[in-house]
This record gives sequence, structure tokens and C-alpha cells, in this order.
Amino acid sequence: MKTLMIKTHEAWLEMLMAGFMSKTQNKQVLFDFSDILFRHFTWLENELIEMEESYSYDRDSIPIKVEKLSDLLHDIVLRLNEIDLQLLSSPDKELAGRIASDIHYMRDVVSNMNDEIITAFSMERVFPGISLTQEATDALTLFLFEETYKEYELIMIYNYLKAHSNDAYMNRIFQILIDESFFHLKSFGDMGAKMGILAVPRIVMKELYQVEDVVMFLKDGINEELAAKEECKKLSEAVGKDSPELAKFFDFINHQENYHIALMKDALKHYTGEEHA
Amino acid sequence: MNVDTQLIEHMMNPKNYGTLESADVQGIGKNPENGEKVAIYLRVGKDEDQPYVEDIRFQAIGCTTTVVAGSMLTQEAKGLNFSGVQNLVEATMNLLDRLPPEDAACSEMVALAIKAAVDTYEKRQTDPDYPVITYKVVNSCVPKEEKQEEEK
Repeated sequence: MKTLMIKTHEAWLEMLMAGFMSKTQNKQVLFDFSDILFRHFTWLENELIEMEESYSYDRDSIPIKVEKLSDLLHDIVLRLNEIDLQLLSSPDKELAGRIASDIHYMRDVVSNMNDEIITAFSMERVFPGISLTQEATDALTLFLFEETYKEYELIMIYNYLKAHSNDAYMNRIFQILIDESFFHLKSFGDMGAKMGILAVPRIVMKELYQVEDVVMFLKDGINEELAAKEECKKLSEAVGKDSPELAKFFDFINHQENYHIALMKDALKHYTGEEHA
Repeated sequence: MNVDTQLIEHMMNPKNYGTLESADVQGIGKNPENGEKVAIYLRVGKDEDQPYVEDIRFQAIGCTTTVVAGSMLTQEAKGLNFSGVQNLVEATMNLLDRLPPEDAACSEMVALAIKAAVDTYEKRQTDPDYPVITYKVVNSCVPKEEKQEEEK
């Protein structure tokens, strides 16, 4: 079961990366499939929790550097086959059956996708249609690496907290935070691919998601969101002269952080209120 | 950080990132100022005269600069005997003054984590239960002028 969860985690990320690389109608299908695989991942995690088995979000590194989309899709099909095999020994036959049905369909669609030439690893660092100064390009490069990882990290942390909480109020907050982080991850991943610097986010260390002190985590989280707003503001200023369009996008992301801060403040209030009750 | 092709390559594909299941020893480098940390996992081989780094991995709670420093330094450390590793750590520490503060703290954290792993290994030769050593950085991640502003 643990192996199945790890394999699903890897397939989810690889499918997501394929979505970033694609420039055709394949893109949305790959994104939708990656969302389905993420939901499989949460089902399997829930099974492990119910079986009281310890687990982590550790996984292998995922090589994605390809010249043609078909090379990556071939690898994804191999991963899906492996998941299909692992499902045979899964104790929850009903869940395994539901997942297997999705896997068979996705495998079929992915196997028949039209091929594409991939430019997501060119390292050219040129945003299509926009000419940035070297300084702005460097700032954008660093921002994309930092924030792509950060959004993945947040998805994993909120997902772990949600998986281990039976509090409906908190779970609503965690789910919105997961959804918000997914939107940001997809936006930054897409930009990374356009710049030719697409990379799989690194593995998150256990102590980050196996949170011991949720109150401290939320307080630190609010400060981190404030720092992220500042980074967006700096980046908006750095790219503003060359591209008002990009500047507007980073202002938008900056203002979106206000949702995260409001949600985390709500969560903090709920948590500390409960603790004192 | 000046972003060149070599650095981007380390950002896109950090070398030796992750844990090492068959690790003989671990070491930690930590920044008490912001909670950032680097964990080093070593598999130690035995040469005729002294131990050497057979394999190495690292994990980081930190920024991209820390990951780049981890990727570069672990590549350098791989295959070195322990004297070589101590020389690498010393050479890195001697370079810190020439780096911007935020980069210095990150590189120091990685170098200290490598040193902590080697020192833990050596301690365990006489005391197998010796705990994993954690070394703390002395460089601040915050540029001096910003720090002075914050302290006002």
C-alpha cells in the first residue's frame, strides 16, 4: 500500500510536468489527469491512516528531461502499468477497482496523444513575447524556482494536516489553501516551462509536514505569506518596466496571498480558541 | 546570486538530493536565526588507511541558494577521504567572507552539515550511541544594513 502511494505520488507529478511541457490541447487533459492522480494519492493516504500504518511523502527523483512529449508519455504509461499491478495486492478491493478503472482510461488516452517537441528545458530564459533585462530575468528565474517548490511544499503540508484532522472547519480551510496553492503551482510551472527552466520540485522533508505545533506553524505561515507578498512586489517592480503584463500578474499573485493570510488567521483563531476552551 | 548556466543546472537538477536508505551516519547544519537546516546522509567506505565518502545525499529546509550549495558541495565531497572532506569544509569556510551574506549563510550551513556527519562518524567509532551532531551557522542570512534597520 505504501509503495502504491509512492508510485501514485510520482505519477501525479510526472503527469503534471507533462502538462506544463505541452503547448497543445493535450495540456488540459494532462492537467485533469494529474488532478485525478492527486485524488488517488489522497484516497490511498486515507487508507494507510485507517490501517494505522506509518507513511511519509518520500519518493524517488523523477527524471523528466525529454525532447519529445511521447518520451515522457511512454514513461507515464509504464508508471501507470506499475500502479495497475500494485493495485492487485491492495486490501481495499473497491477502492482498487475504482482507481484501476481511471488508470486504464488514462493509459489509453495518454498512449494515443499527438506528439510534441519540448522546449521546457532549453534554459533560454526568454519569456515568449517579452524582452526582460538580465536583472529582471535573473529575478524571475530565482522567484520561479523558489515559489514552484514552495507551492508544492504547501500542498503537501496542508494535505497532511487535512488527512490527519477530523475538524470540518479546519478541513475547509486546508482544502481552500490546497486549491490556491495548486493554482499558483500551475501558474509558476507553466512560466518555468515557457522560460525553458522546468524542474520537478524537490522532495519535502518530513519534519515540515509532520507538524508538531500547528499554532507555531500557522504563525510562521502568516509571516511567510507576508514575505511572499513582498517578493511578488519586488518582482513586479523588477519586470514592470519591460512588461506591464507580467507586473500585473505578480501584483495579482501578491493580492491573492491576502486570501492565504485571512484563512491562516481564521485557522489560528479557531485553533487557539479550541485550545483555551 | 548571479544566475549562470551552471547554477541553473543545479537548480533544475540538484545533485544528490534526498535521503540515503543505507546511510551509515547523518549530520545537521542549522541556521538558528530562521530555522533553515540541511541534513547530510553519508555512506562511508573503508580505504586502506582511512574512511572515505562512498555516497552522499542531502535534504534542505531552505532557499534555492542552499540547494545549489548542497548540490555543488556534495558533488565535491563524493569520493573524498575524510581528510579531503575536512579540507573541503575548511576551504568553503574560508570563502564565505567573499560571498553576499545570504549566500554565505547557505554555503556555511551545507559545509557544517558535512562536517557534522564526518565528526559524528568519528565519535561513533568509540561510542556507537553518540547522537547526530548539529552545528549552527554564525553568518547571518540577513544583509547587515537590513539587520540594522530591523534592530532600530
